[in-house]
Amino acid sequence: MRRMTTETGVATEKIVATERPWNVVVWDDPVTPMSVVVLIFKRIFGYSNNKCTQLMLTVHHQGRAIVWSGQRERAESYCVKLQVAGLQSTIELDD
Amino acid sequence: MAGNKLFVRRRDARIEVRLNESGRAVAREAFGRVLVAERDPDHEWHAGLNAPIDPSSDTDDPVSTLSRQSDISTNAELAVMTLNEQFLNDGEAWAWLSTFQLALRSTAVANGLMSEEKLLSCDPDLLDFIRTLQQFLFSLAECL
Repeated sequence: MRRMTTETGVATEKIVATERPWNVVVWDDPVTPMSVVVLIFKRIFGYSNNKCTQLMLTVHHQGRAIVWSGQRERAESYCVKLQVAGLQSTIELDD
Repeated sequence: MAGNKLFVRRRDARIEVRLNESGRAVAREAFGRVLVAERDPDHEWHAGLNAPIDPSSDTDDPVSTLSRQSDISTNAELAVMTLNEQFLNDGEAWAWLSTFQLALRSTAVANGLMSEEKLLSCDPDLLDFIRTLQQFLFSLAECL
């Protein structure tokens, strides 16, 4: 989004970032123990035990959960860490 | 029920491995297969270890896939190297847990066991392998 101002008599241009964030998604599977999912979330994101448990339950009941949103490079890095730890994870552009 | 635990966090912070010989044989098989599968594109577990990062893109960033390959191999190699240890530090235990979890999910993916029904109706030996890995993971997760 670009906005022009001429208050000082000099045309200036402000650029406002409108990029959509990237989501890190974790997908459910029938074999991974719930306690392992919680542990991996804690280890990778440093979230509280409650938040990790809530995310794990969202994965379990809804089949997937968005566990982090933000810049693409970081999303990709978190996704790789989750995959290295053995969880099914992907990234997607936020709706 | 401390006597039934397969991994125990000790007061000196080390993690004691209480697997017997058959337990260590399962661990050896799981770690070894992850290591081989990561390097062998024809291995039945290879696809499970190389899932897409961004499914909307035709190819993933090679830096990310290389980083994943390197980290998986490093963990699996550390797990193999410490297979006969009686005590693990946190880094080694994390390598064990990550590699067990990769072996577990790769087994499920390779055998199409992506629902509870399919899991319960699979070959008994395969189900036994899966249940054993899950037991290892339950016990190890309690220590970390």
